[in-house]
Amino acid sequence: MKPLMLQGHERAITQIKYNREGDLLFSAAKDSKPNVWWSLNGERLGTFNGHGGVVWCLDVDWQTINLITGGGDSSCRLWDLETGKNIATIKTNSSVRTCNFSYSAYQAAYTTDKAMGRPCEVSVIDTRTIDDSISTQTPILKWEITDTKVTSMVWGILDETLITGHEGGDLIQWDLRTGKKIQSIKEHTHQIHDMQLSRDGTMFITASKDQTAKLFDTSSLELLKEYKTERPVNSAALSPILDHVVLGGGQDAMEVTTTSTRQGKFDARFFHLVFEEEFGRIKGHFGPINSLAFHPDGKSYASGGEDGYVRVQSFDQSYFDYTFDYNRD
Amino acid sequence: MKSNMPVADEIQSSWADEVEIDQGALPPPSEVVENGLKIVTEYKYDNDNKKVKIVRTYKIEKRVVSKDIAKRKTWSKFGDSANDKPGPNPATTNVAEDVYMQFITSKEESQRPDDGELDGLKQQSSSVIFKCRTCQGDHWTTSCPFKHTQMAQTKANEAAKAAGIDSKATPTNKYVAPYLRDGGAGRGTGREPPGARDVAAIRISNLSNFAVEADLDDLVKGFGPVQKLYLAKEKSTGHCKGFAYVHFKFRADAAKAIQTLNGHGYDHLILNVEWSKPPQNN
Repeated sequence: MKPLMLQGHERAITQIKYNREGDLLFSAAKDSKPNVWWSLNGERLGTFNGHGGVVWCLDVDWQTINLITGGGDSSCRLWDLETGKNIATIKTNSSVRTCNFSYSAYQAAYTTDKAMGRPCEVSVIDTRTIDDSISTQTPILKWEITDTKVTSMVWGILDETLITGHEGGDLIQWDLRTGKKIQSIKEHTHQIHDMQLSRDGTMFITASKDQTAKLFDTSSLELLKEYKTERPVNSAALSPILDHVVLGGGQDAMEVTTTSTRQGKFDARFFHLVFEEEFGRIKGHFGPINSLAFHPDGKSYASGGEDGYVRVQSFDQSYFDYTFDYNRD
Repeated sequence: MKSNMPVADEIQSSWADEVEIDQGALPPPSEVVENGLKIVTEYKYDNDNKKVKIVRTYKIEKRVVSKDIAKRKTWSKFGDSANDKPGPNPATTNVAEDVYMQFITSKEESQRPDDGELDGLKQQSSSVIFKCRTCQGDHWTTSCPFKHTQMAQTKANEAAKAAGIDSKATPTNKYVAPYLRDGGAGRGTGREPPGARDVAAIRISNLSNFAVEADLDDLVKGFGPVQKLYLAKEKSTGHCKGFAYVHFKFRADAAKAIQTLNGHGYDHLILNVEWSKPPQNN
């Protein structure tokens, strides 16, 4: 299929996400304006103007009413999706690296970088009523992480836990009733750039700079599967309908100028969820892929790259016809 | 609930083009809807000031979607898109070229040429990519330890040749020109004229203008006893004309000299050394 190329950003894409129904696609980039698109025809619905720098992360609630973004201008912002208005701005002490609504959207969590003499902090805020009062609200829970900073985050099952992925490759599960560490594992050796939940939330996949992506159980943090590549993995997503995993990555942005597109290996790679084997790739970007997302119907996926483009690629029939050969013995 | 897709109802030219339309030079844009297709035609000037007709064909699809999604379709655009017309704006949304998934099996994976090439490159860059022209060692020609010793140079060359022949013993798929086969041994001799078998004379060309007999003597005396040495000179200036003839006492020495000196860099020039051709009826 012909992919849609969305050129709404002037700089590298940092994160893209679909809303729950998949009719809207959100993209954040290193320029200051996150975008929202209709995923079906690639029409841009609007931009969220207000940030003063890089936007590192975004998340949309399950009802598609509000958007939360965090950026390098030391602020975490809440937006009204219908009008694109900035409802509340939470000032933080350093740049916001990750932000996520809980599934119910009663709470949201964000983490800040270890910078400007401030430690890395995790904050949980109450988002049951979203209005300007959030700007001045004190977080309902807040704790510091002293060793390595948080680079990715997901909410655990039933909004009871929070799982953070760290710069050093650690994964930590936090109890949200107390803000205490439940368990900590270190399966990756380098930074965990991205974490995404499976459709039912029982598993999540991590993408790490140590050139692997790994599948974990959300409640026990048990390592289930491992997908190996020969390049840093920036993002990984799980197909909602098939046992497929898509991995995106490529060389570090700073080394890209020394390689051709073919050598840089900027294609999206599809692995079988269970057999951990690669079965297909899709080319497109001419820079590393920074963020990937499956459409919730599993019939298309979107990727955002260091080249500043978001590509929405619908799968051909051959993708659905493909069966993975294996021995039943 | 039925909802009309937000496809382009009207694509109008940008304000820049409207000015031109005001001048009455361009036909007005038109829009035709038929058979579920919408064809938008507009005219504008391109960079070369030529009139361009742009035809965009949109397929109008009706889809049944959930209530929430249908409601969101009615949202009006905001932010930088606030002034966009309904339908995708070509400035931000484009259709890229077809891209197909490449299916691979694990077997192919292990021997992908792509990777092989890469690894080859990597190895090369991690070892040495330059080679001494004199002795094939891993240093620059100018810093060759054999630089000033002609005899040593010859030896080094022979060693390199021997190594070259060894490596040639392994079969390769590459085409090798006939005169380069067997480690390039036939390089000079291949072109040897049949009638000149008993002559041990060689012709050295591409010499520097400032070469004198002593230089030539230095160059060739390492190969064996020399019978006669002739350096062609310009009569008026006394400068070298660029070529010279050397008669060796033994044919084997001459062959060695050709092998060694042909292609050898001397005074910033690459020497061309071959068998001297017999004089032609003069």
